[in-house]
Amino acid sequence: MQKDNAADLTLSEDLILVDQKVSSKEEIIQKLGDLLTEGGFVKDTYTKAVLDRESVYPTGLAARVTGVAVPHTDTEHVNRSAVAVATLTDPVIFNGMGAPKTEIPVHVVMMLAIHDKTQVIPILRKVILIIEKDEVLKKIWEARDSGTIKEVMQEHIRSVKL
Amino acid sequence: MKKVKIIVVCGSGVAMAMHAAYKLREHLENNKIYNTFIEGTGNNNLAACIDAYDMVVSNAEVTIETDKPIFSAIPLITGVGEEELVAQIVEKVKEIGNAE
Repeated sequence: MQKDNAADLTLSEDLILVDQKVSSKEEIIQKLGDLLTEGGFVKDTYTKAVLDRESVYPTGLAARVTGVAVPHTDTEHVNRSAVAVATLTDPVIFNGMGAPKTEIPVHVVMMLAIHDKTQVIPILRKVILIIEKDEVLKKIWEARDSGTIKEVMQEHIRSVKL
Repeated sequence: MKKVKIIVVCGSGVAMAMHAAYKLREHLENNKIYNTFIEGTGNNNLAACIDAYDMVVSNAEVTIETDKPIFSAIPLITGVGEEELVAQIVEKVKEIGNAE
């Protein structure tokens, strides 16, 4: 049996979708939620909990490079920490974090599955930092395959000091 | 100089608030401000705990009524408008810290 390290956060090509054509935020949240559920990272309740939370506490962020959303929910719906990523061919509208009436066109979705926020916070913070690191976010947005996105994220996580 | 207590709020859970709180602490230390105490909480807990704090920094819409100063935490996450936000918070911390 594989040892479960609570401080680990899985980044996998299987959890990265490139150049998705979707028509709503719900559609991309569902797709990423399906990947996380199939991979056993989250419970069956996770995707609905993310959708519900998104409608109350939206997660759209207007970064310098483009709009980013970080849908997530409570730790009780998660088995193992992971990040699922999608880039969108055409943006979909997310409402703004802290500003629910603001509409933000989003090209990059990073859906967070957080199992133990205390344990995972150092690496989780590095993922969140991508939003303000223009050159990293740009590389992810412009990547044409999931392997490149994984490499860019891993390189960023290795290089950033907190 | 008085200790200034800051509560950083996020929608639910505290993941994004913790990130914003860490960044705020770094910024304050870079501005040689050490008289702060920063904690994170979820928005649904804010009404119950706000009396214990001097200032709110939130990435959720603050809907409770309070006369405490409220700042948006979003610039700490996106980097957009971050310097301006930090300058405002630094000024407010000094104001509260120096008050009787």
